Amino acid sequence: MSSTNQGFDQELDARGLNCPLPILRAKKSIAALGSGQVLRIIATDPGSVKDFEAFCKQTGNTLVSSGQAEGAYEFLIRKAS
Amino acid sequence: MAKRLQASERRASILAVAKVLFADKGYHGVSVDEIAVRLAVSPAVLYRHFSSKQDLYEAVLSEIACKRENYVDVVVRGPDDFGGMLAKMTLMYVESVARDPDYLRMELHAALEGSQAARQFFENRWRPFADYIEFGLGELRKEGHVAGVDARIASLMFQGMVREALYAKIIYQADRFREYSLADLVKQLIAMFLRAVGLH
Repeated sequence: MSSTNQGFDQELDARGLNCPLPILRAKKSIAALGSGQVLRIIATDPGSVKDFEAFCKQTGNTLVSSGQAEGAYEFLIRKAS
Repeated sequence: MAKRLQASERRASILAVAKVLFADKGYHGVSVDEIAVRLAVSPAVLYRHFSSKQDLYEAVLSEIACKRENYVDVVVRGPDDFGGMLAKMTLMYVESVARDPDYLRMELHAALEGSQAARQFFENRWRPFADYIEFGLGELRKEGHVAGVDARIASLMFQGMVREALYAKIIYQADRFREYSLADLVKQLIAMFLRAVGLH
């Protein structure tokens, strides 16, 4: 299944949440996606950068991008096939 | 004569020795001279890395306070239920503290001395639990699984409970709880906590 023209299929606002809540909520959101679909996550916890790298490494999902904009962190994660 | 170290190695060795002394005696119980003697260097070496004893103390506190547990593995492997996840996170945390008991003493010193690091200790060590409990209980309440629980007070109850278990087993080594391992004590406390908030 491919992502929409905005580059993701579902969005998760994890602003204001600290470890482990962003990854916990991302895990739930990804479980509801189809293979190949993309989740966009917005977070403010600085630890989330390393956490999502480790999360993707351990789950086999792909960290499509990881960046920073307007005081928040943005992650795009594609669900493994 | 002390072996010559790289600046980063020297700084790390100063922090390690200072941590042990400050944890044992508190800020006022330790002098720069004592730290220098323990390191087998002159006090001038310490002042090349830290402008004052206060500066060194804050660096020690900050290094300890900013250590965060990595709960990614716990999240990935589950379990997914509120209580199961809380138990796994807590056991991971107390085992980490048991491996480095100086942390507990420094946290106490930081609180008593009104250091800014006291806030860092909360943010890095206890905030993950506070947020997890407040958020988790909020969701469980919306789903009708718990009723009428003040999640913020519940998180305070949890924090006090786990902290006291750590003191009993690690600092006081209390006879009253000798027959319990730290893990067993924490597991029983978490079971009581879950019953208190209306789960299980």
